[in-house]
Amino acid sequence: PDGVVVLPAPQNLSIQSANMKHLLTWSPVIMPGETVFYSVEYQGEYESLYTSHIWIPSSWCSPTKGPECDVTDDITATVPYNLRVRATLGSQTSAWSTLEHPFNRNSTVLTPPRMEVTKDGLHLVIELEDLGPHFEFLVVYWREEPGAKEHVKVMTGGLPVHLETMEPGAMYCVKAEALVKAIGKHSAFNQAECVEVQGESLPL
Amino acid sequence: PAVPCVSDGLPKPTNITFLSINMKNVLQWNPPEDLHGAEVTYTVQYFIYGQKKWLSTSGCRNISRTYCDLSAETSDYEHQYYAKVKAIWETNCSKWAETGRFYPFSETQIGPPQVALTTGENSISIVLTAPEKWKRHPKDNPVSMQQIYSNLKYNVSVYNNKSKKMWSQCVTNNTVVLTWLEPNTLYCVHVESFVPGHPRLALPSQKQCVSTWEDQTSALK
Amino acid sequence: EFRFGPCRVENVILLELWEAFRAVKDSVQTQDNITSVRLLKPEVLHDVSDAESCYLVHSLLKFYLNTVFKNYHNKRVEFKILKSISTLANNFIVITSKLRPCVKNDMLSIYKSAHRRFLLFKRAFKQLDTEAALTKAFGEVDILLTWMEKFYHY
Repeated sequence: PDGVVVLPAPQNLSIQSANMKHLLTWSPVIMPGETVFYSVEYQGEYESLYTSHIWIPSSWCSPTKGPECDVTDDITATVPYNLRVRATLGSQTSAWSTLEHPFNRNSTVLTPPRMEVTKDGLHLVIELEDLGPHFEFLVVYWREEPGAKEHVKVMTGGLPVHLETMEPGAMYCVKAEALVKAIGKHSAFNQAECVEVQGESLPL
Repeated sequence: PAVPCVSDGLPKPTNITFLSINMKNVLQWNPPEDLHGAEVTYTVQYFIYGQKKWLSTSGCRNISRTYCDLSAETSDYEHQYYAKVKAIWETNCSKWAETGRFYPFSETQIGPPQVALTTGENSISIVLTAPEKWKRHPKDNPVSMQQIYSNLKYNVSVYNNKSKKMWSQCVTNNTVVLTWLEPNTLYCVHVESFVPGHPRLALPSQKQCVSTWEDQTSALK
Repeated sequence: EFRFGPCRVENVILLELWEAFRAVKDSVQTQDNITSVRLLKPEVLHDVSDAESCYLVHSLLKFYLNTVFKNYHNKRVEFKILKSISTLANNFIVITSKLRPCVKNDMLSIYKSAHRRFLLFKRAFKQLDTEAALTKAFGEVDILLTWMEKFYHY
């Protein structure tokens, strides 16, 4: 009808995913002097195959103000997900805009993990950042010497973990990569860090 | 036979739940509200999901305490159970208050292992004994929780009282030897059991602290 | 990963499934009033051989996808149940898509044994009113996950 402003649907939907955190973003709908709200809904492969009429409201963004939505808690399987957004202003709602390509969490970008390598006396200790329940870390450590033998441990993050009992007078180096079993992928290794232990070598 | 009572004459007991640790399954509840001073007793029944009848338990009929150990009745941990309790006072009794469906295998909390520490000059050996499943009689053969949960692991946490540093180790075997520790230093240890992949509450062991021996060379001087 | 006999399945995290079910366990199981019937009886799941397990889990998960979850949507359900079903169903899709139950003749007797177990479950389901059966089957996902966990290797 004449004079009634039809609320435009949000445009430019896109999703950025890093370290299993998935952020859906879109261009805001500008209505001068007004606050536009948005609702986000999702549909996994199951819903689109078996119950295509079913869309599920996002955990944190139905409704939301921002032109973005953290959908991490909604994407809970390694299958393609459809995502859609619409704008709401008072009683007006826009059409739905749907993400052009379904999103699968196996496309997330895994970054080399941050780590802190310390020693407690002769004990080599590592603490890796806590990236959430999906993450394990493959830690490789070795004693810096010709023909060094690499040792491997898999551990979780968020707590200092004992790696090795070191020998005085030796240098030990550590590197780690992030592992995510849910998507069967791993990050690149981070930069190796080394620590040296004072004192002479141990009596044989 | 129990004297019939006027049902719904009393408010129901509240917060009826199972507290389950190492398959010791204790039903507990709060007394009915607004009955201060009344000599209320309770009667408990339990039900095996998929079977036909509510069953009584002789040990929890007309009891005045607000808990009932149903470990024997719920010892087949692959079954699921309900329990209910009603309050009785003189000739009045409440309706039954009922639990949700209780599944011992997936809901029992796994207690910490027993932890034995022995020290050396600069070493501590930690011997862990797996937590034991509840048993009917003290003389029954012990069943380790590790036999029920084959992937049971332990998280050993060590705190160096001098450097104020803490670190942990995830182990599956029962012995951990910490070598090349600092002599004459107090170390504190606590251990948690856990089963990967299953969201359960962790019950850490009591913190135990031991000191490594004095440095023998300086002791000789 | 899951190892159902010869069938291997990766990329499924049991913890995610447990958390999805636990979020709705009490409300779903409370709606199940027919406590004298258990669909996933011991005879269905006890002592399942590795060889049988791939057939049985395939049949059970397909049934949950095609019948239980699919029809659950026709009931008026709360939002948290929709979310729980979505997590379980989408992960069941990952599992079933990777299961390749062997169809060779020498496996016929094993297949038949697994199929008998599945029919025990299905018959018990069909004997109930549909609404009650859907609620009961969904409420027994903890029994299903506990059985599947026996084939999960960390």
